[in-house]
Amino acid sequence: MQKPMITGNRISIPSTQEYLPDVDIFIEGILRGYGINESIIADIAISVSELVNNAIDHGNQKNEEKRVIVTIEKNSEAVSLTVTDEGTGFNPDELDDPLAEENLLKEVGRGIFIVRSLMDKVDIAPSKKGTKITFTRALK
Amino acid sequence: MRLSDRVENGIVIMEPKGKIMGGPDATLLHDKLHEYLENDQRQIVIDLAKVEWMNSTGLGILISGYTSLKNHNGALKLANVTDKIQSLLTITKLITVFDTYDSVEDAIASFSN
Repeated sequence: MQKPMITGNRISIPSTQEYLPDVDIFIEGILRGYGINESIIADIAISVSELVNNAIDHGNQKNEEKRVIVTIEKNSEAVSLTVTDEGTGFNPDELDDPLAEENLLKEVGRGIFIVRSLMDKVDIAPSKKGTKITFTRALK
Repeated sequence: MRLSDRVENGIVIMEPKGKIMGGPDATLLHDKLHEYLENDQRQIVIDLAKVEWMNSTGLGILISGYTSLKNHNGALKLANVTDKIQSLLTITKLITVFDTYDSVEDAIASFSN
């Protein structure tokens, strides 16, 4: 069974939700080390969990041989993170609107919407070799 | 996430503790909710006081419980919604779906109204 691997500000995990807590502990630990307030930490942690879940389920199709990679860095103005999978990409323009009446009671489909709501900038770069999502939260 | 639950005057009180982010812990909450439903429990309160945060997986579990209970003439209510979860419910417009209460006692009392 493969395990999480941590190198500096980067963690990679096999594609199973079993390692979601490992990613969360890693990211929150780094954010606290940066001295960021708890509310922003929670927003970032929620966003990371959304994208890692998507990477596991949709990007890598829960294939544990494929990995999800999360990176984090900070400058004086913002924290910037990436979540990368080894899937075949997707079209973010084809996502349903979770606020539409017909979608409100669906149990899935609001992850990226939540990330876009909590983060200041979200860039989705799909490709046939995987999807890389870069998201940024300004430090206020 | 850990989960404790009890029955008070025929009303189920579920108390998750920690973060609801997906994976086996989230499955625990989902399965317990539906286990109560299968045992003909129709009135459930989820006390969110000890939930640090949840993501859309957690919201999906709440929606699943809400719709399943509603379809069986029951109700799922939320108590002690933290600011972070309140914010999520508002962002996703789910604040228009769920009945939320400032305390478990208020949520229990609402079943009598």
